[in-house]
Amino acid sequence: MKDRAALIKDLGRIFPPDRLLDSSAQLAPYESDGLTCFRSRPSAVVLAETQEEVIQTVRWCYQHSVPFMARGSGTSLSGGSVPVADGVVIALNRLSRIVQLDPVERTVTVEPGVVNLKVSEVAAPYNLYYAPDPSSQQICTIGGNLAFNSGGAHCLKYGMTSNHVLGIKAVLPDGEVVHFGGPSLESAGPDLTGFYCGNEGLFGVALEVVLRLLPKPEFFRTVMAAYDSMEAAGNAVTRIVSSGLLPGALEIMDRLAIKAAEAAVQAGYPKDAAAILIVELDGEKDAVESDYIRLSALINETGANTVIVARDTVERMKIWKGRKSAFSAVGRLSADFIVQDGVVPRARLGEALAEIERLSNIYNLRVANVFHAGDGNLHPLILYDGREEGALERAEELAGKIIKLCISMGGSITGEHGVGLEKKAYLPEMFSPVDIETMERVRAQIDPKFISNTGKMLPGGEAPALVIRGLHPLEKEGILSRE
Amino acid sequence: MLHKIQAEKFGSRGEGMAHAVEACVHCGFCLPTCPTYLTMGEEMDSPRGRIFLMKEVLEGNLSVDQAAPYVDRCLGCLACETSCPSGVRYGHLISPYRAYAQKNRKNNLFQKTFRWLLMESLPHPGRFRFLLQMAVFSRPLQGLLPRMLRSPLSLLPKTIPKEDDLPEIFPAKGDQRARVALLTGCAQQVLAPEINRATLRVLSENGVEVVIPKSQGCCGALAMHLGEVERAKISARKNLEVFENAGPLDAIVTNAAGCGSGLSEYRDLFHGEPEEERAKNLFALVQDVSLFLHNLGLKKPSGWPEPRKIAYHDACHLSHAQGVREAPRELLRSIPNLILMEPLEWEVCCGSAGTYNLEHPETADLLGQRKAKNLADTGADAVATGNIGCLVQVRNQLEKTGSNIHVFHTMQILEEAYRNGA
Amino acid sequence: MVAESTVFLPAEVDEAARIVRENRNLRPRGGGTKPALSSPLAEEHVVDMSKISGILEYSPQEFTISALAGTTIREIEDALAENGQYLPFDPPLATAGATLGGTLAAGLSGPGRRRFGGIRDFVLGVRFIDGWGNVVLGGGKVVKNAAGFDFPKLMAGSLGRLGLLTEATFKVFPRPHSTITLEVDCGSLAQALTGINYLNSLSIDLEALDLIPPGRLYIRIGGFADSFPKRIKRLQELLEHEGRLLENEVESQFWEQTKEFSWSSPEGFLVKIPMTLAKVEKFDEAMENYGLARCYSSGACLCWVAGKDSRHLPDIDSFLHSLDLTGLVLRGNVDYPILGAQKGLGFLRRIKEALDPEDRFLSFKETISESS
Ligand SMILES: Cc1cc2nc3c(=O)[nH]c(=O)nc-3n(C[C@H](O)[C@H](O)[C@H](O)COP(=O)(O)OP(=O)(O)OC[C@H]3O[C@@H](n4cnc5c(N)ncnc54)[C@H](O)[C@@H]3O)c2cc1C
Ligand code: SF4
Ligand code: SF4
Repeated sequence: MKDRAALIKDLGRIFPPDRLLDSSAQLAPYESDGLTCFRSRPSAVVLAETQEEVIQTVRWCYQHSVPFMARGSGTSLSGGSVPVADGVVIALNRLSRIVQLDPVERTVTVEPGVVNLKVSEVAAPYNLYYAPDPSSQQICTIGGNLAFNSGGAHCLKYGMTSNHVLGIKAVLPDGEVVHFGGPSLESAGPDLTGFYCGNEGLFGVALEVVLRLLPKPEFFRTVMAAYDSMEAAGNAVTRIVSSGLLPGALEIMDRLAIKAAEAAVQAGYPKDAAAILIVELDGEKDAVESDYIRLSALINETGANTVIVARDTVERMKIWKGRKSAFSAVGRLSADFIVQDGVVPRARLGEALAEIERLSNIYNLRVANVFHAGDGNLHPLILYDGREEGALERAEELAGKIIKLCISMGGSITGEHGVGLEKKAYLPEMFSPVDIETMERVRAQIDPKFISNTGKMLPGGEAPALVIRGLHPLEKEGILSRE
Repeated sequence: MLHKIQAEKFGSRGEGMAHAVEACVHCGFCLPTCPTYLTMGEEMDSPRGRIFLMKEVLEGNLSVDQAAPYVDRCLGCLACETSCPSGVRYGHLISPYRAYAQKNRKNNLFQKTFRWLLMESLPHPGRFRFLLQMAVFSRPLQGLLPRMLRSPLSLLPKTIPKEDDLPEIFPAKGDQRARVALLTGCAQQVLAPEINRATLRVLSENGVEVVIPKSQGCCGALAMHLGEVERAKISARKNLEVFENAGPLDAIVTNAAGCGSGLSEYRDLFHGEPEEERAKNLFALVQDVSLFLHNLGLKKPSGWPEPRKIAYHDACHLSHAQGVREAPRELLRSIPNLILMEPLEWEVCCGSAGTYNLEHPETADLLGQRKAKNLADTGADAVATGNIGCLVQVRNQLEKTGSNIHVFHTMQILEEAYRNGA
Repeated sequence: MVAESTVFLPAEVDEAARIVRENRNLRPRGGGTKPALSSPLAEEHVVDMSKISGILEYSPQEFTISALAGTTIREIEDALAENGQYLPFDPPLATAGATLGGTLAAGLSGPGRRRFGGIRDFVLGVRFIDGWGNVVLGGGKVVKNAAGFDFPKLMAGSLGRLGLLTEATFKVFPRPHSTITLEVDCGSLAQALTGINYLNSLSIDLEALDLIPPGRLYIRIGGFADSFPKRIKRLQELLEHEGRLLENEVESQFWEQTKEFSWSSPEGFLVKIPMTLAKVEKFDEAMENYGLARCYSSGACLCWVAGKDSRHLPDIDSFLHSLDLTGLVLRGNVDYPILGAQKGLGFLRRIKEALDPEDRFLSFKETISESS
């Protein structure tokens, strides 16, 4: 890689020395994202401060055929922001201007390094907020959210990131700068904005994003109900969803997750509960109050043993704080764990959880469950001891079993954390070779040299030579052989 | 996070270091509260990045010197501990790491001399005062000095306050409710003796008798943070003895947050050593004066005739290192006509951080300006805080912005609130 | 120059795939309710999807429904209604016979988009035949899914030019128990826009918020009827107008007519224009001068313009350009249905090249006058 090192020096034409990182100590901290079992060292990290610098870097990479990866805050949980080995990391956390906030159209244009929560902060004076709220919202960036189409606790009613992105300016992997979408909520022609979302960094780098803001809900009713069994909590969800109520959020945490969250932030969850359900109604006061009467009647019928209703914002935030720190808090129970992210049909939640429990017993590994029950989006956290011989492998195997379970139930291998490196191998279980081949083809048109976050999401395609373009797949009877 | 650190190789505190690394799940939740990440925006200068770097050094993949620039820039403010949901005890990693690094680095001579100078002066009130006088005297020559020495000078007060000889015992007013010893703090004594006076009066007003052992020395925090363990231990042993001989005590109160957390660290300093038990006993008694008063039950002050807006500034060594956040606020709130203001980014360090503003003046300045702005934005007339370092830093930074907001120790505000009624 | 146009009527997906492999210049058609998108021009062939129809999977507890592309919206809505559910994006032209595939390919949403979003926000999965003749699956059947590229969104508004939709899965919601509409005449367009802006800035859940120029607002709320009196009163106070209440039959009739564009003449043209509040006044003035009918929907994020004579379309096109707006012609005589400023053609052409390199389907153009 000596050549690469010499080549990297050339990036000095774009970046001053203090923003071109290439020593071991500078590169090491960029080796991992939120999933620490993958590591890979880039040749350089550039700290971009302007869009022009990003464009020039991408063009430089294209010219020299050097792979690159855009990085927000490196909180991906699927290995999505693990650097491409020997490639260039384009760090975007400093590319974080709020370009324009339009309170009348209720849109804000931001650069990709802006932190999710910051968007709501700048919108707050206008009584507006940015709805998608991943648990990592205080640190994850809009660029990362966009690339992963991140969700949050309030997706049930408000949708994912792509439902809130109206326009995008991006530099494609060969250096072309494109704009699409705009300030309107509607569009004419194919929804390119929506298609760009969730590309996992394979479509170049987003430089500017127009986001939609919503008026802050004027009223909340946040209820925490504790149950003696997971099943009872699951049934409560089914009842609530089928009653015609549409809560902003419907979340479940199990015993282990409750324990971890309590240790971390003292959210006031009953420590002996087998499961807790968090339901939040939001919106117009009179409508919420009217829904709330029905909700509490329902919850009373579901056999909850403790019901806590937040009386004010402080209490509401306390309930949420526990939920939002749950992932990291599990670090208190076990030094090592894998966060899994899968989706099952909502009506089969109970069945899925029972199966996960069975698997957990077989593998003799503890599994904590925190999940977006309203969406059927599971987040099993598989706890293991990395110092124990073979434990990681067992945990990975269990994680794989859970994902296969989701697929077999007609669900998805990821609800919001993306495919990244971690689930690449499972993509073919959800999609046929033809489907994947089609994705490859689109990718090849957008990134002809395969340099944009190479090696993520799509199973094949690391080596450009392997993808055969122009050959009609049906001539090969619909199956393209791939080494 | 998985690691291959052989804890035994790093002595009694190795286990603690390994634990901290293990507990870190790399989630990044600590990033937005870390002052260096906020100002520099690079992963090496974040808690998560530093943990990773220290791990690499302890595993033998990087040398101490390679990691040094980034680890050195850590303010030790421990905001990352407060914000970490995974319970990473960053302090258990950085302190022993610094001790280890200190021994294994190729220091540059200038920095070594500078640190030596600091350690030989700051902890010794007599020498420190002398040096200050010299420095104030030489202020006109500032331009001639190397940058590293120029910045500390700009932090100096215009005049050095008169020495204040404190009595050995300060009696309680009225019925005695408690008996405590006071750690006077070396720099504080020289720079702002009025803080100790105010503390004594407030304690006395609340029926507390205060012992001020004459032979107490520096708490050793400075040495500890610079990684000079042996030097720290010498100070610590001395203080253990002094406070053990101070008679029956309900508490050892500190009014300089840095010293308070310094005393609390004795436990870790002597981990696995003969003094451990005694250090634990001492630790059980150490309390910040605000917490002590809050637990005791504050006698209601009379307050002011007119409403006054006061912003509270969290000293890192109080709020993060000792977890004392609510007590001082409660005390202030109990003052009639005091309106307590909360600045944005309460958790972010002001850049003072012990001797940080002496060693990394530029970062310290950026942070100071950020803090000054947040405090000024509250619209407060004055700022209250619980640490001399912050007090000096915030005062200087506010002055620089042309603000006329005054900065006081929480005890000074309380004292005034009592005095008004008298 | 009237060249022969074939109409293919496949009964099976496989047959449709074969048609795609064997022909070029294909124009998919569902119910034919948007003739500007589905009527063939010279040398084009129609693939009529009406026989590839039927609901494939609908489990009410799941709140998702999958159906073949030729299934009519009406059929789907009827099935959903039996379980108190609905398509919240309120697909237009259902009574006229619009199909699921056609609605998705045209990317159309009705007044109900105001509450929870448009069709692109509700489509979860698609199956389509690309230009290679492959049946490709994108997305999934569960309400949340982040695996693979988001083909479902790409297909929303793809106008049958990126592939032939054969199947789609949608997320559905519980239908509000009751609805009620407040009609308020604000007197002028400016006043009405102020009213919309005000309502937009509050967290009030409106099922629909339409404006008929110059100043009539139609504000629809939904939920449990017991909350209505208070909520209506609040709206009246906020807007400082008593207004008039539309209830029951009259109310549903009104919205039904809105969705069917009953106010426009079936012989003339109809254009959809994504809009922003700030541009309404300027835009409306010009349309008024042309003597065209307008309706602003969903808090004015969307405008429908109708007129009798398609010769107005080039004017609208250049006017849209000047305002940096885009339009989609649903009815009317045009060679190319997208008017005004198109965005992202550079990106779109790459996708087209990947999915349909040999132009089995029609291509995308720079302008309405660009020749093929
Ligand atoms: C404790 C914890 C809780 C979490 N909770 C949630 C949750 O509730 N919901 C959820 O959805 N996710 C969650 N996540 C996952 C993660 O936070 C999200 O995926 C987030 O969007 C990543 O943002 P980031 O800024 O860290 O991006 P990074 O990790 O830096 O990057 C993620 C991907 O985005 C790409 N990328 C970044 N910026 C750009 C750009 N400008 N243009 C193109 N590509 C770009 C990168 O190449 C990479 O592939 C959680 C993570 C943690 C650690
Ligand atoms: S918050 Fe804690 S666990 Fe997360 S990265 Fe920071 S130190 Fe590690
Ligand atoms: S102690 Fe302070 S400066 Fe050091 S890493 Fe933690 S938050 Fe950052």
